[in-house]
Amino acid sequence: MASTFKPVFSDEKNPRGIPKAPFIANVDEYLGNPDADVEITLKSFQDALAKYRYMESSLTQRRASLEEKIPDIRKTLDMVEYLQERREGKSKAKDDLNDDLEDEDESTNGPVKTTFELNDTLYAEAELDDTDTVYLWLGANVMLSYKLPAAITLLTSKLDVAQSSLNNTIEDLEFIREQLTIMEVNTARVYNWDVKRRREKREKEAAKQPSGK
Amino acid sequence: MRMLEQEEETNDAEVTWEDQQRINSFSKLNNRIRIIEEKLQDLKREKEALDDLSTELELADEDELVLYKVGEAFIHMKQPRAVKRLEKDQASVDARVSVLAVQADECETQMKELKVLLYSKFGTAINLDE
Repeated sequence: MASTFKPVFSDEKNPRGIPKAPFIANVDEYLGNPDADVEITLKSFQDALAKYRYMESSLTQRRASLEEKIPDIRKTLDMVEYLQERREGKSKAKDDLNDDLEDEDESTNGPVKTTFELNDTLYAEAELDDTDTVYLWLGANVMLSYKLPAAITLLTSKLDVAQSSLNNTIEDLEFIREQLTIMEVNTARVYNWDVKRRREKREKEAAKQPSGK
Repeated sequence: MRMLEQEEETNDAEVTWEDQQRINSFSKLNNRIRIIEEKLQDLKREKEALDDLSTELELADEDELVLYKVGEAFIHMKQPRAVKRLEKDQASVDARVSVLAVQADECETQMKELKVLLYSKFGTAINLDE
């Protein structure tokens, strides 16, 4: 019973399948035997910690890439929404948004003039013809044309997906952090338990042979 | 990690599941608040930039065309329109700041409570300060 191998991870998992770390309520009970070999347990704890750390680092990367991706989507969405706003301002002469911008009619009608980044530190001017279509880069060398409202819907849903995936990643990271803390506390307690046991053993032996001193 | 004194070891043996959960929450909140603070810093910088911009725009002529950044490109728009956009951008930054500030406050109060509980139980055997 003493040396039976115990899997460190319990069967309980979080929603993304990350296993829970066990909490040790009582070290004696967990090790099962006062002379149990602490080394094996400590080593399996180390392995578990290493696994959690590995998951943590890969999730941290994932999180960083999502944190980068979200502002990108938002920027694109901003622009498409701007284009849509202009079109609406044109079709409905009296739009709520443009109530106090009525005197601006000429600029709403003309083509949009922009200065855009052609390359790093290089800017060029461009006029956008009035358009109801944008092309969205979908990845994998594919670009599709969308009507403005469809583009807004698509981008909004992509933003939502990215946001919820980021939230999940953050949740996972916090979960892993908790498991890491549990394992660290476990390690410390088993270690201290061992120190204490050795000292008791030593004291017992010293008591047995008082002349030894 | 340092070696524990003998009398503290006995203390250490009494970690209950409840304590463990408190330690977990504390560590989680500690991490969370650090990230929130980073984000708040970024947003504050953005807010400052927008505030500067708003004073600049007030000085600009009504008929003047200003370059306002939308997404990655600058749009040439008339000053009143730019002011409107700026107001919208400012409102969105303000909203994000206040959401984060509330979260940070929550973290802090919870951490304070946990600190009191954990320190009263574990004393010097635990260290919760940076």
